[in-house]
Amino acid sequence: LPEQSPARDIRLDFFRGVSLILIFVDHIPENILSYFTLQAATFFDAAEVFIFISGFTAALVYSRRLQAKGAMYMTAQVWRRTWQLYVAHIFLFVIFIAEVSYTVMAFNNPMYNEEMRVADFLGEPHVAIVKALLLQFQPTFLDILPLYIVMLGIFPAILLGLRYQPALVLVPSALIYATVQVFGFSVPAYPEGHVWYFNPLAWQCLFVLGAALGYHSAQDRPLAAGLMRVVFPVAAVLFAIALVIKITWTIHGVWEAFPGLFLRALWPISKSNLALLRLVPFLAAVVLVTQLVPANARFLQWPITRPLLVCGAQSLEIFCLSILLSALGHFALSEYDSGIAMQLAVNAVGIAIMCLTAKMINWYKMMDRIPMLQPALAGSPPDDRAVP
Amino acid sequence: MIGHRGRMGAFTALTIFIAAALTGPGLARAEPEECEVPAELTEIDVKLTRVAERLHAHQPVTIVAIGGASTIGAAAGQPDLAYPHRLQVALTRAFPDAAINVVNKGVPRQLTRQMLERFPTDVIAEDPVLVIWEAGITDAVRGAPIDDFTDSLQNGIDELKNRAIDTILVDMQFSRRTTTLIDFDKYLKALHRVGELNEVYVFPRFDMMRYWSEQNMFNFDEVSPDERAAVAGRVYDCIGRKLAQTIKLAVE
Repeated sequence: LPEQSPARDIRLDFFRGVSLILIFVDHIPENILSYFTLQAATFFDAAEVFIFISGFTAALVYSRRLQAKGAMYMTAQVWRRTWQLYVAHIFLFVIFIAEVSYTVMAFNNPMYNEEMRVADFLGEPHVAIVKALLLQFQPTFLDILPLYIVMLGIFPAILLGLRYQPALVLVPSALIYATVQVFGFSVPAYPEGHVWYFNPLAWQCLFVLGAALGYHSAQDRPLAAGLMRVVFPVAAVLFAIALVIKITWTIHGVWEAFPGLFLRALWPISKSNLALLRLVPFLAAVVLVTQLVPANARFLQWPITRPLLVCGAQSLEIFCLSILLSALGHFALSEYDSGIAMQLAVNAVGIAIMCLTAKMINWYKMMDRIPMLQPALAGSPPDDRAVP
Repeated sequence: MIGHRGRMGAFTALTIFIAAALTGPGLARAEPEECEVPAELTEIDVKLTRVAERLHAHQPVTIVAIGGASTIGAAAGQPDLAYPHRLQVALTRAFPDAAINVVNKGVPRQLTRQMLERFPTDVIAEDPVLVIWEAGITDAVRGAPIDDFTDSLQNGIDELKNRAIDTILVDMQFSRRTTTLIDFDKYLKALHRVGELNEVYVFPRFDMMRYWSEQNMFNFDEVSPDERAAVAGRVYDCIGRKLAQTIKLAVE
């Protein structure tokens, strides 16, 4: 998310770009392409990738700021970014309200009248809007930004902790996560009876882990090779087992005669609380990717990879856009035609818009960085300046 | 896109016309053509053994329909037109020797967890042989935690299993407009999986209603406000008939 830095690891851009595209695809219900995204083959999905990389890059970038300009400046910068995210969230919320109001006004199905009344927060807009400003009102699909906002809000403390007393950050983070797994604590939301879909008490663990690894990586201290020799095979085995199990579930979902391995024992796996069954395969995947995909991997230079890198680099804007586009795409599918051709068209158009917008923002930021010549100097011939 | 729907409608009408012509008027009378659904939506692979025992012994059968607003069926205007009563009528026609009573225990805007809390008074107290549990709409509309939803379903199914009561789950209603606002997909998948893991039949109301909607059998955009109740009544009637049809298959 933060701006370019000299030694940018483009793997981060790549995987974040991929996760943004997958979030878009997964957010369109009953989308045929969602059978080919992470969640069809692994217990985790793009949300884990997004949150982990966000923690990692935040630590990478802001630890440099911390070193160069001190804690106050770093905190101010992180909070400026948090503010941008907050404003983006409110913007998306306003669009959501417009969509709801429009649909409710045009709603004429008596068979749903009674049930729709529970969604009738339009009846108390004064409460609903304040709850949205407090991040307690999280309509469907507007639930990941609040988590990110809270994480970034406390990030200065996390980063300072990682620098001076890492145990003070890592131990409480792990303890809170473990408590949620055992007791199932959740954070209440609006309306009454709702909870945060992404339970911040559980998901903070992934963000903090990302930040810790990012901070470590920013210090140019490579992970002990000896440790990796042990961890890598374990991760490979865990990942492979989880992969096989989840793929059988996905096939079973489409074709019932095919057995879903351990389905009875393992299902359901809580996404809200980031169950261990999601976290462990994801961390295994992180180990595999860091070992198998070098920062200078050939495919990262391919022209076809370029749009993904650009999307990953402009992740805030592209994330917000993807939420908007998936809502519009879903609207188009349910209002006009939900055939496979239309589904593919909606996916293609959405992804194209995301890539083009990222490219435009990238171009604009690049132009912005080129310093302008002073008009007076620009107008005078160069040799005048050379001679005092 | 209107053209697309129109074509589909014409094609189906033609198929049904040919089918009716081939099978004679008897079938057409027993099954109004507008309730037609693709064959895979009426397949049932479980047996309702307790219901079967009662029916074959010509003993009275009490069925409890627990659920939300669509179980009460207020949209159709009167209780006789709600799906539980239509089911009772269709079942009585299919099993004229048995005294079949379908008790309507719909309460609007309740989460599945709240329905479960009503089990002792609304379900068990009625001493049913079969419980038809329509769940998930309010959970989806309110975006309730999916784990709570599946836990409640599981607890309810366990309770009924322990008491030797047959169970059918009914999934959500389909409405084109609502699907753009509410994420039904997650809850539908979870409901069907709970059913599958417990070998409990899930009546695919969502897919049936979607099919009817695509066939333009009901379209609330195209009828005047005072005709809407009649359309809702027709849908409830079809749901009652289809449920009766699957129950008949499951007791044979």
